[in-house]
Parts: sequence; structure tokens; C-alpha cells
Amino acid sequence: MRPPLNIVIVGGGTAGWMTAAAFASVLGQQKCRIRLIESSEIGIVGVGEATLPHIRFFNKRIGIDERELMARTQATFKLGIEFVDWARLGDSYFHPFGAYGSRMAGVPFHNYWLRQQQAGDTTLLEDYSLPIVASRMNKFALPSEDPAAVLSTFGYAFQFDASLYAAYLRGFSEQRGVQRTDGKIVDVKLRGTDGWIESVKLEDGSMITGDLFIDCSGFRGLLIEQALKTGYDEWTKWLPCDRAAAVPCENASPLTPYTRATAREAGWQWRIPLQHRTGNGYVYSSGFISDDEVASKLLSRLDGKALADPRFLRFTAGRRRKTWNRNCVAIGLAGGFLEPLESTSIHLIQVAITTLIDYLTDTPASAEAPFDPRTVDAFNRWIEMEYDRVRDFLILHYHATERDDAPIWNYCRTMDIPDSLKHKMELFRHRARVVTYKDGLFLEPSWLAVYFGQRVIPQGYDPLADAADGAALARKMQQVREQIQTAAVRMTGHEDFLRSYCPAIKPAMTGARA
Amino acid sequence: MSRVDRVVIVGGDAVAWLAGISLHRAFRHRGLDVAVVDTGRGKNTTNARWTLPSLRGMHSLIGVQEPEFLRRTGATFKLASEHIGWQGDGSRFLHAHGDIGTAIGAAPFYKFLLREQIAGRRTGPEPYSLAAEAARLGRFARPMTGADELTSSFTYGFHIDEAAYVEYLREHAIRAGIRSVAGAVASIDASETGRIRSVRLESGDAIEGDLFVDCVGLSETERDDWSAWLPCDRMACASAPPLANPPPLTQTTASEAGWTWRVPLTAATAVGHVYCSAFVDDDAALAKLASVAPEARDLRVVARFHSGRRRRFWERNCVALGQAALELEPLAGADLHFAQLGIATLIELFPLDGQSTVEGVEYNRVMAEHADSLRDFTIAHYRAGAARPGEFWNTTRVAPLPENLAHKLDLFGANGRIDVRDHESFEEVDWAWLLLGVRDMPSTLEMQMTSLLESVTAEQMEPLRTHIERLAGSMPRHLEYVRHQVSAPGRGTS
Repeated sequence: MRPPLNIVIVGGGTAGWMTAAAFASVLGQQKCRIRLIESSEIGIVGVGEATLPHIRFFNKRIGIDERELMARTQATFKLGIEFVDWARLGDSYFHPFGAYGSRMAGVPFHNYWLRQQQAGDTTLLEDYSLPIVASRMNKFALPSEDPAAVLSTFGYAFQFDASLYAAYLRGFSEQRGVQRTDGKIVDVKLRGTDGWIESVKLEDGSMITGDLFIDCSGFRGLLIEQALKTGYDEWTKWLPCDRAAAVPCENASPLTPYTRATAREAGWQWRIPLQHRTGNGYVYSSGFISDDEVASKLLSRLDGKALADPRFLRFTAGRRRKTWNRNCVAIGLAGGFLEPLESTSIHLIQVAITTLIDYLTDTPASAEAPFDPRTVDAFNRWIEMEYDRVRDFLILHYHATERDDAPIWNYCRTMDIPDSLKHKMELFRHRARVVTYKDGLFLEPSWLAVYFGQRVIPQGYDPLADAADGAALARKMQQVREQIQTAAVRMTGHEDFLRSYCPAIKPAMTGARA
Repeated sequence: MSRVDRVVIVGGDAVAWLAGISLHRAFRHRGLDVAVVDTGRGKNTTNARWTLPSLRGMHSLIGVQEPEFLRRTGATFKLASEHIGWQGDGSRFLHAHGDIGTAIGAAPFYKFLLREQIAGRRTGPEPYSLAAEAARLGRFARPMTGADELTSSFTYGFHIDEAAYVEYLREHAIRAGIRSVAGAVASIDASETGRIRSVRLESGDAIEGDLFVDCVGLSETERDDWSAWLPCDRMACASAPPLANPPPLTQTTASEAGWTWRVPLTAATAVGHVYCSAFVDDDAALAKLASVAPEARDLRVVARFHSGRRRRFWERNCVALGQAALELEPLAGADLHFAQLGIATLIELFPLDGQSTVEGVEYNRVMAEHADSLRDFTIAHYRAGAARPGEFWNTTRVAPLPENLAHKLDLFGANGRIDVRDHESFEEVDWAWLLLGVRDMPSTLEMQMTSLLESVTAEQMEPLRTHIERLAGSMPRHLEYVRHQVSAPGRGTS
């Protein structure tokens, strides 16, 4: 068995503290000694304040109490994302955390719906999705464990204040033995023989050594890029947005149990309601609009009074060529950037952390090179696959549009897309079949939501759906709609639910807004 | 838009009939016309086959009743494959169709075995698997769901008399209303675009169709050649008297230039030899077979094959299934499984019209992954773990591994992790059986697993082992169980 692994985490944002919390909790002090270096002078980006349902597995694995987490981070519930104005101006669709109807005779439900549409049925696909119907009513309930219940057909995630989340995880981590060092890194020392990171030097002259360095320093990639020159694959030609402006504003009632993403003249705008305020931001391509224009547009499109001046961020869509290079693993923005359109930032952090924990071995491969290159390669392949699958899904939102009212949409509508996505779209357009995969994000309902929402309308459907008796099918579908309607009506209003479940607790240390 | 209303299946083996019955059932509602050009079983077939558990799903889908099927095909149950001599004379291991132990918290049981082996303690998966223990004792009972999770911890495949099975399926198909035309294909009539319009038989009759399913290899198209990894290219088989107490397992035994098999049936024991003609000629191969089964009769070379697969299984309006799609030695018993996947995928992607091509693209993508993963699992028997010495065996270990398999074995070698990707038929537990069996030991284990298993000792597993021993011992003898099944009155059969 190896002596405790000395892990040095560089950067204390969401990625840094999630990593610290998970390692401390899952592997413990016998297996690793964790030091996190952050500088209180450097602000954190506070990526993505909206999450995906998978975060609940993460919380469970590391032992975080969900209610407490929500109360400490001003959190609200999230049942999905509303996309406004994406395929056409005036459109609105939901990407829900849940399925549409359920399979019948092994055939995905949407094929039956398409069959009925062709026969003149006018119901909407979203009528068969409980999380969408509930979202439109601003209702919420916890899902049921009983697979037969209609209340088991959805999942949920959180919308929270990312800086409070980092602060909460910091407390959690420190209780579990994580050492925090406040300091600014001024130099990274590489080993002469093989270029592995030996230590980092702080402003006060102290040197911190480690076995494994986790780079959570954000876009700049202090270790992975500035020191190790790992390289970056850019995806700007498919995902042209390269900047964002963020601003919080006062809440407008009611608090929606969903995030909203509205397509704009040079990108899109997010709206994330929290208990104490609403987070907003405009993600845009600097080639199509100026910062000043973005600021004024954003400020004019808020629910309530702005609570700060807009903050600007710059980024490049893409992925680090190797997430794990030598003895450095890049997690969070240091590892890659995909715009928060589908709230994947925190999820990709989570994937990198849990995969790293899964892959780390008990004994070092050798004294000089403690990490087996076979493990490192496997880890990198996994992360690549995760990024690539999310990438295709994001591109779909931009590409499948009919909008021709702004240059960015003309560009995206006509751009060349990856072959993997081209094939997926063609198959869907032809016969409503979704290409699915075992690993990686976004299952069939997600693809369905975005295809239909973006007006990728199938010409046909699975001919197996024709086997069902028409009258019985119509009755069954009506029953599903009614069950969903009834269940949604019986749910509690989202705000009321929050008030009784997880009313916000003022944090002891009020961190600066991210 | 022209609808696909007529499917013509060319072939007379089990795959052709299974395809016919399945397509007919799936598209009865649209009156799909299914015709089988029955070219006979062909010379390229062995006298028996062993199958994966997935055949049961297929049978239940097409209305095959198990007692009748067992009776008609002289079948027995298969709980495992036993591989003898693959790591040198005296070695053996089992790949059972069932769980290895029960999860220890978040750790799969096999991680415990890996830890024990890394620590130098001799232990294996078999005593912790009900399927393996029953196979060892020659006992069998179907899995049951109940209070004891172990009784549902396994599944089973079959050993089947091939000629009887084909005849049984043929009858089943004809009863279901599938048209059958006996004859051999003389020529193919294709349009200018290369789409098949009809097949002309030697009798002069032309059978027209919109979609053709090729189970015989009608056309030569580009192939992926796998012979660098899997050089065996011949199969011989024979029939020996039945065993007095046939175990519910398939046996394969490494030979000088390939491997022999033994498959227990109720009325006979089928034996065979898969070998590489570059190292042994047919006479010597038959002599080898005779030496391992002295009482065998009807020894003959039945198949010449070339390991590999078609690049595109679905080309224009023709879909290749079974041996027309994939040529792979039957080590893993996955031939019918692969055909079933092909049939199921064809049904899921049944073309909406005669012109569309996107279904074929998707079909080829998915089926290529399936085929390659079966290839990898087969190669792993030769390449993972301790190696058998010998000239033939050395040649199987020369070519660099296919990428995915290399990745899989690399990761396992580094930390004992088994990653299973999209469209792989064999699951984590199957790989665990194989890798533990061939003693492909990782150098270390995941840190997390070591933590989880920290306080777990072999002594604590004793109750599990004795419980399994007792459960297996209480099962009926395999042959008695089969006899009882076939004498049970069949339901809903004519």
C-alpha cells in the first residue's frame, strides 16, 4: 500500500473545493493528504449556478446533506431548462429532467405521439412530460421511489449561488482534514529529468511539494498549460461564443423551478432564479457584438433591479489535449470550457473528480513515476468522450435553427458540423430515431427535447409503432396526459416548497459574489 | 416513396429461420411478406452449437416453448464454458453465466478476489458462483427469484443439436405463414444502382423482393481481416456417444494448433476441432479429434473460414446476417447472439422506404461495434494472462492488439478496472471470469477498492461459499432435470 498521496489542489473555486471535498470524503486521510492553495486576492469565476440531476449522486457519494446544502447556498429546485427564441423568435421549449411518456412494446413513446400527430392529434409532446407541465405551473415535489407512480418519471437538480457552494464545500473539506493555504503562486518548479511538477512557489517564498497536482486555476491553466504546455483543442468554429457578461438582479415572483436560456442577437442569455436573487448572464461571440452593447442589452433585459455592474469573462470553447498530463490533472475550466447552455460545467467537474477517484491506484507504479501511464491514458480517453458528447449536443442548439435575423444565427445555421452530429440529425429527421449511448451525458429524452424544440421535425417514425390498436392508443395517451396533469396540479408551489424545505440560512462568511 | 413490403431471406440455417420468424412477427400488422429461399443447411455447419443465454429472450419473443424446444433438439443446459489447457497443460478455468459472489458494499466481489491474488493467496471465482459450482457438480435448476438472491444470480444457455434445431425452426416458420422456396441461387438481378430486384434460382424461378437478407454470403464486399489475431481457419466435427452424466457446460481444450470442443447433448456428445491449416493438415486435425474422442463417429471437416467481418453489413437493399456477416471461431458461443443482434437491429431500423440509406449507415455503425467487441473477447482468450507455449500459440500473440482491446487490458493491468463501452455483449462480470481465469493479474488495485475491502477477510466469505455449495448440491442432476422438462406436457404447441 502506498503512503498517503500528497495532493495539491491549485485554485479554490467550485472545481477546487468540489475536488477537495470528494477526495477527503471518499478516500480519507489515510489515503491522501490534501492541501488547497487559493488566493483571496483572485476572484473565482463561480461557473454555472445551475446543475444537472447527476449532482445528487455526487452529494450522496461524498455524504452531503442535500437540504443543508440548499439552505446554505440560497438554492432553488430545477426541473429543466426553458429555451426561448431558439429555432424561431417566439418559440419556447423545455429540456426536462425526465422522460416523455413511457415505452410501449419496446418502442419509445414519441413514435406513438408522431403517429397520432399524423392522424390529426394536436396534443403537444410536452403534455406527456411531468417536469415540463409542473415547470409551466411553477410547481415542485420530490420524485417518488415507486417506479409505477407518475411521480417517479422525473429527476431534479439545483440552482444555487456558486460562491456560497464553494464556501460550503470549503467548510465541509476543512472538517475532513483538508489544509487550506492562502497564497498566490508565483512559480512552478518542474523536475529536470522528466518535467513532472515538483513544487509550486508562493509569493511569500514558501515551496509546496506534492505527488499529484490538481489544476483548478481556471481558464489560464496555471499548471496544465502555463507550466506543462499541454495544448488545447479549440471548438470555436462550432461554438463561436467566447465571452460572457454576468449580473445579478432582484428576484421577480414567482421563483421558477427551472433555468431559462433565451437566444439573443449574438448569443444567448441565462436566467437562474435563486432564493435571494436572480443570476443573469449574456454569453456571446465577440465577433458579432461589442462588450458595451452586451452590457446595455443585458441590463435592459432583467427581471428586476441590477444588484451589481456586469462582470465580463473570456473563454475559448474546447478541451485540454490531455486532462491528465504527467502528475497534473486539470479539473474545471483549466481542463476545458463548454458554455453553460446545458449546465454542464459542474457536471464535467464532477465527472473528472469521480473518474480520477475511480482510477487512482493503491500502490505507485514506480518511485519516479507513481502514476501508471495506462491509467492516465484511460482516464484521458474517458474525459475526452464525455466532452465530445456534450459538444455535439451543444452544437445542435446553435445549428438547428431557422433564425436568419442576425449574423451569428446565419453562421451557425449554415456551418459545417461534426460528422457524428450530422449522422444523428439525419437519422432523427428521417425516422425519429435517437442515437443513444451507454456512457456520457444526455439520454434519449434530452435529445428528443432539443430536436423537437429546435424544429428538427422527423418525416417518419418507427414502423413498429403502427402495430398498436389506434383507439386503445388514443385512450392510453389521454390517460397519460391526465395523470400528469393531475399530478402536477397536486404538487406544491415551488416557492412554498422551498420555504418549508430549505429556507436560506445566512452564511457565516459572506463571500464575494462570483 | 416506395414501401418495403417484401423481404426475401436467402439461406437455410438457424439464422435464416430466426430472421424470417422475427421479421414476420414484428411486421405482421403491415402485412409484410417474408419469403425464405431455403438453400439448405449448407456444408459449412457443425453438428452442434452452444449458445449464450440471450437465445432465451429470442425464443420467448418468437413463441418457442422451452420444453418442446428441448425435446425436439436434444438440447441440454449450459451454465458455463470450461477452458482447458489454454495457459498450458494442466491449466483450466471456467466462464460461468452468472455472478461472482455478491457485491461487498460498493465493491464488486471480483475485486476481493483480485486483492487476494495480488497478495499471493490462491483463490478463484468458482467457489463463489452458484452457476460454476452447479456446473462442477453436474447439477442444474433454472434460476428463481425469491428470498435467496443467489438463486437468481445466474442464467443459462443451451447445447443444441444443430440439424434438429434448424428443422424445428423451419417447421415453426412455415406454421407461422412464412413462404419457403427450396433451391439454390443461380444469379442475382440488380438494377442500375446495384439494388437487388430478385434472385433467380437454379430452377429458373425468380424471387422478387424489396429487401434482401443474406445468410449465405451472396456478394463479395470489403472485409476486415482478423486472421492475424485469430488464425484458425478450419473446423472439424464428429459425434460421440452421450455421457452418462453430462455436465451443464461446454468444454474447450487447447490443442497444438487450435482447440477442441465437447458439447453434451441428450442423445450424443458432439465434439469438434477448430484449427489452423498452416500448422496442421486436415488428416492430422481429424486424428487429433479422434484421439480426444476415441468413440466418435462420422469425423469430417465441415468448415473453412477466414476470421473477419464485412465492412458494411447493410449495403443498398441487402443485409448480411450470421456467417454472411461475421466469420469468427465459436469459442465464445456468440454466433447466434450476433445474428440475434443483427435481426433486432434490423427490426429497429426497418427501412421506411426503399430509397433511404441512413438506416444502413446506422446499422453498420452499431453492428460493427458489436462484431468488434465479440472479436476482442475471443482474442482475449489467446492474449490475456498466462500464455500457452507452442509454435501456433506463439503466432497468435504477434500482432498488436486491436485498439479497444489493448485499452481494456491496459487499464485492467494497471488497476484492475474493467471498462465496458457501448455495444459490447460481454459484461463486466464476463470479463472478470475471463481475466481471473487466464490469471491476467493487475499490478495493483484501485485505491478506493482497497479502502472498501480493507477489513474484509477470506474467512468472512466462508458462509457464502458453503451456502453456494449446499444450494448447488441440492439441485437435481442435470440430465434428470432435462428429462423431467421434456416429459412435461408442452403448452400451446401443435
